[in-house]
Amino acid sequence: MKKTNFKIFLPLGFTVVALVFSCSKSFLTKPPIGSYTPDVVATKAGVEGLLIGAYSMLDGVGGAGTNVSGGGTWVSAGSNWVYGGVCADDAHKGSDPGDQPDIVSLMTWSESSTNNYLEGKWEAMYDAVQRSNEVIREMRLATDIAAADTVELVAEARFLRAWYHMELKKMYGNIPYVNESVTYTAGNWRVPNSTDVATNDGVVWPLIEADINYAAANLPETQSQVGRVNKWAAQCLLAKAYMFEHKFSDALPLLTTIMQNGKTSGGAKYALVPNFNDNFNAATKNGPESVFAAQNSVNDGSTAANANDGDVLNFDYQGPIGCCGFDQPSYSLVNAFKTDPVTGYAMPDTYNNSNLKNDEGLKSTDPYTPDSTTPVDPRLDWTAGRRGIPYLDWGLNPGFVWVRNQASAGPYLPLKNVPYKSQIGVYTDKSSWTPGYTAININLIRFADVILWAAEAEVEVGSLDNALADVNMIRTRAANPAGFVQGSVANYKVSPYAAGFFTDQATARKYVQFERRLELAMEGHRFFDLVRWGTAATELNAYVAHEVASGYTLIQGATFKPTSIYFAIPQAEIDASTISGKPTLTQNPGY
Amino acid sequence: MVVINIVKPKDELLMPTKFKLLAGLNTALLLFLSVSLFAQTTITGRVLGNTDKQPIVGATVQVKGGKSATLTGSDGSFSITSSQKVSALVITIVGYEPLTVSVKGNSVGDVLLSTSATSLNDVVVTGYTTQKKKDLTGAVDVVNVKDMKSIQAGSPEQMLQGQASGVTVITSGAPGGPTNVFVRGVTSFGNTDPLYIIDGVPLSFHDINANDIESVQVLKDASASIFGVRGSNGVVIITTKRGKSVGKPTLTFDGYIGQQQPLSGNPFHLLNSQQLADALWQADRTSGQVDSTGNPSSQQYGDGPTPILPDYITPGGAKAGSPAVNPALYNVDYNKGPIYQITAANKQGTNWFGELFKPAPIQSYNIGMQGGSDKSTYFFSLGYFDQQGTLIDTYLKRYMARMNTTFQLTKGISIGENFYTFYKDNPQITYFGENTINYDYREQPIIPVHDSQGNWAGSNGPELGNSPNPVATQDRTANNKGSDWQIMGNFWGQVDFLKHFTFRTSIGGNVENSYFYAYTYHTYEDAENNGSNGFTENASYGSYWDWTNTLTYANTFGKSNVKVFVGSEAIDQHGRAVGGTRINYFSDNTNLWTLSNGDPKGQTNYSGTGAGSLYSLFAQGIYSYNDRYLFTATVRRDGASVFGANQKYGYFPAFSAGWILTQEDFMSGLTWLNFLKIRGSWGKLGSYANVNPLNQFTLYSAGAGTSYYDIAGTSNSTVLGFRAAQYGSPNTGWEQDVITNIGLDGVFIKNKLEFTIEYYQKKINGLLFQDNAAATSGAFPSSEPGAQAPAVNIGDVQNNGVDMSLTYHAVLSPVSKINLTGIFTTYSSKVVSIPNAGGYFETGGSRIGNFVRNQQGHPVGAFFGYEVIGYFSSASDVAKSPTQQDAAPGRFKYADINHDGKIDASDRTFFGNPNPKFTYGLNVNATVKDFDFTALFYGSYGNQLINYTRYWTDMWASFQGNKSINLLYNSWTPTNLNPKAPILENASTFSTNTVPNSFYLENGSFLKLRSLIIGYTLPTSPLKSVGIDRLRVYVQGSNLFTITKYTGLDPEIGGSSQAFGIDYGSYPGNQKSYSVGLSLTF
Repeated sequence: MKKTNFKIFLPLGFTVVALVFSCSKSFLTKPPIGSYTPDVVATKAGVEGLLIGAYSMLDGVGGAGTNVSGGGTWVSAGSNWVYGGVCADDAHKGSDPGDQPDIVSLMTWSESSTNNYLEGKWEAMYDAVQRSNEVIREMRLATDIAAADTVELVAEARFLRAWYHMELKKMYGNIPYVNESVTYTAGNWRVPNSTDVATNDGVVWPLIEADINYAAANLPETQSQVGRVNKWAAQCLLAKAYMFEHKFSDALPLLTTIMQNGKTSGGAKYALVPNFNDNFNAATKNGPESVFAAQNSVNDGSTAANANDGDVLNFDYQGPIGCCGFDQPSYSLVNAFKTDPVTGYAMPDTYNNSNLKNDEGLKSTDPYTPDSTTPVDPRLDWTAGRRGIPYLDWGLNPGFVWVRNQASAGPYLPLKNVPYKSQIGVYTDKSSWTPGYTAININLIRFADVILWAAEAEVEVGSLDNALADVNMIRTRAANPAGFVQGSVANYKVSPYAAGFFTDQATARKYVQFERRLELAMEGHRFFDLVRWGTAATELNAYVAHEVASGYTLIQGATFKPTSIYFAIPQAEIDASTISGKPTLTQNPGY
Repeated sequence: MVVINIVKPKDELLMPTKFKLLAGLNTALLLFLSVSLFAQTTITGRVLGNTDKQPIVGATVQVKGGKSATLTGSDGSFSITSSQKVSALVITIVGYEPLTVSVKGNSVGDVLLSTSATSLNDVVVTGYTTQKKKDLTGAVDVVNVKDMKSIQAGSPEQMLQGQASGVTVITSGAPGGPTNVFVRGVTSFGNTDPLYIIDGVPLSFHDINANDIESVQVLKDASASIFGVRGSNGVVIITTKRGKSVGKPTLTFDGYIGQQQPLSGNPFHLLNSQQLADALWQADRTSGQVDSTGNPSSQQYGDGPTPILPDYITPGGAKAGSPAVNPALYNVDYNKGPIYQITAANKQGTNWFGELFKPAPIQSYNIGMQGGSDKSTYFFSLGYFDQQGTLIDTYLKRYMARMNTTFQLTKGISIGENFYTFYKDNPQITYFGENTINYDYREQPIIPVHDSQGNWAGSNGPELGNSPNPVATQDRTANNKGSDWQIMGNFWGQVDFLKHFTFRTSIGGNVENSYFYAYTYHTYEDAENNGSNGFTENASYGSYWDWTNTLTYANTFGKSNVKVFVGSEAIDQHGRAVGGTRINYFSDNTNLWTLSNGDPKGQTNYSGTGAGSLYSLFAQGIYSYNDRYLFTATVRRDGASVFGANQKYGYFPAFSAGWILTQEDFMSGLTWLNFLKIRGSWGKLGSYANVNPLNQFTLYSAGAGTSYYDIAGTSNSTVLGFRAAQYGSPNTGWEQDVITNIGLDGVFIKNKLEFTIEYYQKKINGLLFQDNAAATSGAFPSSEPGAQAPAVNIGDVQNNGVDMSLTYHAVLSPVSKINLTGIFTTYSSKVVSIPNAGGYFETGGSRIGNFVRNQQGHPVGAFFGYEVIGYFSSASDVAKSPTQQDAAPGRFKYADINHDGKIDASDRTFFGNPNPKFTYGLNVNATVKDFDFTALFYGSYGNQLINYTRYWTDMWASFQGNKSINLLYNSWTPTNLNPKAPILENASTFSTNTVPNSFYLENGSFLKLRSLIIGYTLPTSPLKSVGIDRLRVYVQGSNLFTITKYTGLDPEIGGSSQAFGIDYGSYPGNQKSYSVGLSLTF
């Protein structure tokens, strides 16, 4: 019996050992279950999906950048409310003074290169750039895409790539341009920028233009889905590039053609919608004024991530939405809507001489009557919430109790991003941490924007009458009483400028620029416009003085320096670009 | 674990001659086996301690050379019967020197055992084999399990604190909460948990029943190389109890019940209602925020020269009798109209800490049964552990069962199994980041817990800040449910053959299921409320198996002892998870809590899966010559599915040697020195804990929120989109550690003093770490929802340190003994290189940015930012100081590190280090007659902490939460130039609260009395009559004191391996608790 044991167990044991020792190769190969591999995506439908993924970054959210330390989705919001608005004279940061402290240094132009917001925006935009590049790269691996279809795919991808680079270019000035040859895997991602912004302009703008030109040449005039860009959107984007490059004579004919013949992806001829506020209403979005927009959606299974995720802080406090009191219109912005009692014209020289009456320092229980005599542009009450004025369909704005911290942020509320009460649950999404997720689009380019570029270009080439006509298109729409806030006690008065009012180029420029401020207020353009016009230091230093005197002490001592026209290139990116001890990215001057 | 194999005479005849010649170890045994049969004899006696003359209970008495054995009873007596002639008895018990007694007649009378002062003969499990402690050549720490169990904790890894040198353990007070275990420093930027091997199978230690543990040993150096790629964080080897093959079966009951006390008083040093209002007035005045009357103005507090507390906070600032307070409008149901609450101001101030933390019971009950014969043994246990957290609605409830059996089938063949299962419900909170505990100091004291109708009150009123009500937040989790269960263990078989060979196979693994559901309420009382209610339900399972085979050869040649084994191990794991969420529930009624009852609009769901495998071959040779020269060589080859084809396999060699000097003749004269061994080791270890199983692949994903898009402009639907999910790295391989260790073990002064000291150096090369690529690559860090950069082998860390343990035991009198054990651990973990990231990466995020920078040349986890060198004392001080943004009197003055006359980002510096200079433990055990006494101290020295709570409480402008007493009474003023907080002002600036700086740095050294136990063992004789062998009762106090200068709740603050020691509002682990317990043996 004992002998049997040896006979059985010895061979058995060694067999087991031998078996175990030999079966390892396939055992150690585990496929990536639960994930898409490149070969699965390299098909027509897959590449189209990648293109959708590239579009989905237009709101700035859904990719990298939103989780930087101390930040959130607002860091990279497609609306640029921080960089375009709060860093200019549109709005105060809002909330408590210490909430989102990175914004404090941004809006006082004292941020360091380690500011997390700057890192977040940079990451989001390069993520978006690489998503656009993925379309082109994977398309080349696919075998089932017809040549004609590749042209369309590349055209849309290059449009988006140009857009995302422009977002970077206008913020950071001196940027690396990343095309589809740059990949993590290839290891060639330490793309340098230039030694200075001027040099970079000469490198990057032509690349941006080339992308847009390809898109303009190859995109169709209409698209089956309104969110897709068409030939006209590409031309508008080219015009925008020209405006930033100060190539007015190139821009003007382009803009003229667009204004004559341009149409939306849905096929509607570009036009100003009759009611100004329809541009900021989810129910009336994608109208003839919508050239290019980030399409926001709600209740779509994404836990509100496809809504206006970057703007969810920018509402009242303990009022209709209840979060979080950021992005509060400035005194100066509200004052800018004052109009001349006689002519109904804007008052670019005197608007800030005194503050429009407001309820600063008053509790909601204290009596208050809003100003009903001073004439104001009716767009004011679609742009800034004021006490005693109807706040969409939410009733009269009660002032103090809807403002998070009046003492540190002022008395006004944002409005262009606010949903109607009747739309709660329909165009808003309640599935995330705050109720303010809406389907209101971010208007990246709207036709009013295009018209005002045309006006600018006309001014710069000297055709002032044409510029006046362009501005008056905007003002005429604003003057339409059907588009006023109904039930408001305010004295609305706005008029087109009389023929010949633009007596000289300087006057024309002043009124065109001022019109742009009014029309596009709180839409994330203001800072970049001021920089583009070269007036940022003058305007913003005057703004600081005015706001501080009015009680907004958070920006006390801030000075806009010549180098403040570009934000700092994120230090972490400079460090990560290091090759053998030397960074390939150059910092902007002043940081 | 060791199966006794007795070879019968018949077998000897079958053995080939050459094996007979090689027989060494078993020679003595064989001699005694060849005696012929005799009639039965019974021998009696009594076993006592040689110094105290007290009975020794449970000693094994065995017939020398025979199979008969028994255990001594409660009075130390025994009676043993044998069918053979008995020439001698061998008496053994842990803690005493083994003794062989010659037998003459039927009684041996009183036998005196001398305490084995040393643990040198203890058998230590070193992975796939065992060795005597004196023969070890590696750094293996043997934990005193009895002391370890003196700590009341839900998870056994928490009990390791202070019990093993070289092991740094950071725990928290959360039942079943997180524990950082660093074996010899921070060994990775990812998971630093050691590998836990339980009865030979890699398993989770977290939910093991501590009562089942028989032994714990920690492999800290090259001795862990036998575990190859899993060894670099150290290996903790646990064996669980099994039945004894001798003596009568026993039934034991262990239980305790106690009460944990929350920290008392005002642990966050916060203001009351009137004080907070006064602070508001002062801040507004300082900042010039006054109205035309020259006074601040507030909805709540009026606009007079001093703030007046209102009678109601909602409606804001209302006085009693005010028409604004209209009970007819009261409503907290969104379905019925606008929310309208009436909330009386709490003028005294709500003690939110006291509302959130309540005394909480803890209880533990265990029944163990064990017994056996020479053919089989069994151990069976049932346990129940229930720790309620002092933070309301946190708890750990766990039910546990174990069954370990062994069977000797026939000569040389034995099989067995270890089976363990548990079920638990253990809700978790956020531990390192903003959590309910933060709300304690963010919720203003004027807010009561409940409103006028008994519903929750909160910040939903003017100037009440934006904190959620912490009590409401926790209370609303009360009906959430989690249930986790696991089955783990193994079946094993062992064959001893050809005298010197042993083949062992083990198939083990675990199956785990995890499930939870949670309901989110549509809050109404807060300033920032949830948009709707919602319900989430999740389930997951995971399983893996481990098949290990070893073949061992052991023999003795003259003075040489040889042991060689080879083995293989294969591990395969797999898991899946599924879950979903719906919102807009018709009612909050708990009966409706299923996904089906929610609104399909906006629903989300997901599922996921993963798999991995590991296949390894290993071999070890152990050689000793003349009991004084010891050598071990090890090699392991691991192949892992997580690595790409280029890097799939890794080799891990190790060598060690020891020299027992006291065996040498030249040492024999030193009577004060009983034992001295010097040893050294070198080995390679690996880790793959920091790698995603799919790291080698480039992958795409489709995510509703990350790549889908409403391209058609519908506002409520999206189109499928893809994005790159990660970029793969086929060249990523092992994290490789090279560890060198020198150790000295000594026993002195008649075996009374035993010490071990080790010095080690651990170089961790090719640290597995997510590539810090620039954004232009399209590959991002794991903190971001973009495409992920892969883990690559970048970065080196070097650790070195000294581990020391010292044990002293003495008999003070015939009836009193004392045993002292000191444990001392130092480490320094220094980042040697992070080449790909500009030499550093930052982490440890907060509202104001990252507090931690891991950078070349600096300790792991070092704190980085602006160094506060004082406060600007005056405008002239500002003028003469380096230019600093927002510089003003009363604000922080930062150090101009680069001396360029201006403060900017380049002046940030390393200002603190969370790593302790050393940690130490002291266990004191004493017995006096029937009383026993245990005290366990644990301390940490030289570690620093970031008290991030002070961002909220010591800076007025951070948020409108509660503030600290320091801010109101000891902040900077022109006459208080050495304050504890910056100027009380309503401004948020670079020079105060918007950047990480050293203001938050505090000394984190502490000394805790972790456990104090006084026990009494009842005299045996009266108990005998009711069948009780032994009854011990005890009282225990935990955390009776903590000595520290830290101003936060508890200086013991964990985190991740990349960033720890940042106090976001930690769950305190220094709460006192008192309990009574008993152990009963039948």
